[in-house]
Amino acid sequence: MLLTLATARKVLFVGGKGGVGKTSVASALALARARSGGRVLLVSTDPAHNLGYIWEMSLSDTPARVFTAPSGYVDAVEVDPHVTIERHFAAVTTTMMKLLPERLHPSAKAHLALAKTAPGSHESATLERIAELMEQGLDEYDLVLFDTAPSGHTLHLLSLPEKLSGWTDSLLASRSRSDRFAAAARGLVGGEQDPESAADSELRRTLLARRDRFARMTKTITDPSTTGFVVVTVAETMPIAESLDIVNQLHALGVDIAAVVINRRSPTDAGAFLKERSKREEASLLPLREHLGAIPTTELPLLGRDMTGEDALEELATLIAAP
Amino acid sequence: MEPSTAGQRWERFSRRWSAFRDGLQDYYVGPYRQMFRREQQDEDDLFMIAVLGEALGVPDPAAYYTAELMPALWEDFHSWHRRMGIPRSPLDQIGCC
Repeated sequence: MLLTLATARKVLFVGGKGGVGKTSVASALALARARSGGRVLLVSTDPAHNLGYIWEMSLSDTPARVFTAPSGYVDAVEVDPHVTIERHFAAVTTTMMKLLPERLHPSAKAHLALAKTAPGSHESATLERIAELMEQGLDEYDLVLFDTAPSGHTLHLLSLPEKLSGWTDSLLASRSRSDRFAAAARGLVGGEQDPESAADSELRRTLLARRDRFARMTKTITDPSTTGFVVVTVAETMPIAESLDIVNQLHALGVDIAAVVINRRSPTDAGAFLKERSKREEASLLPLREHLGAIPTTELPLLGRDMTGEDALEELATLIAAP
Repeated sequence: MEPSTAGQRWERFSRRWSAFRDGLQDYYVGPYRQMFRREQQDEDDLFMIAVLGEALGVPDPAAYYTAELMPALWEDFHSWHRRMGIPRSPLDQIGCC
């Protein structure tokens, strides 16, 4: 079921409460998709990256090959917002130096250094990088898989593009009003043309480019034929309560919930202790089963081994690929 | 002789008339032009505040994005803070005066 999903969609977000095995599930799913011939870009957006740990490789903000199958492969990225922040501000600085007279250069540089450290820049840079990798993934890969941070952070990030579109719209509206007042003042004196200043058209261009990028991202995230969200949980009361919360919030954001994965189910045939535990898990799953309606669920068994390295991922991938 | 005098007279009259008309236009329209210019100024000043929020001590969640608008606003910054009634630059790192 999960592999079918990963073949049908181009973008998947894997999310859920901390410690439920998101990274293992995302990595194994990436591996399964590569074995079936897909080119996969696997992206970790969690500031506390585990991706490199699971693949037993050192990863960075630039995609690196972690797995090669006969006809598919997995490239992995650990998003580092600092790299994006540096790049962004270097670009802004270049623009500024072009537009400003020499005497203002030092103070402009000082101001930008300050904006760099503003709270929120970190998050905006993460979003920027996600948008970038999503576009790159849609172009060059068959599937982009985002292994996300614990739920609150991810849901907030997914709601940002829409909020920021509102922000750019209000600034653009302000520019339009300013233009209309200028035109009205001109029109009263027989309309000698006051050409729009270079600075103002620069503002407008920058704002429009921003707005289009946010709009594209919102459109991609909320298109159920392209993007889906996979909620990972374990069969315990707390993670399940949080999963239901995630499902409701994703509905509100217009993101399609493609699947729920119940990870680490205890076996019923390995002694009385685990059998008892499995029964309790069944009970805790009741509210989830009631609420989910048509959303497909997949159960993955508790595995005896540590989830690191390719062998462990192969084992989990085989379970995921099973119909 | 006769027609040219008439032509000159007409010329003179029409010059005066259009000067008179321009005067009227200015008399009636001037205040409104001022009003529109002021409205535009207010709108631009507000925009400046929105973009400078973070630097002025208002936490701006979009600081990362407002930074890319700074180049276009920099030149106006000095006249802006003077208009706002702040005689010296309110930002340490912008030493415009």
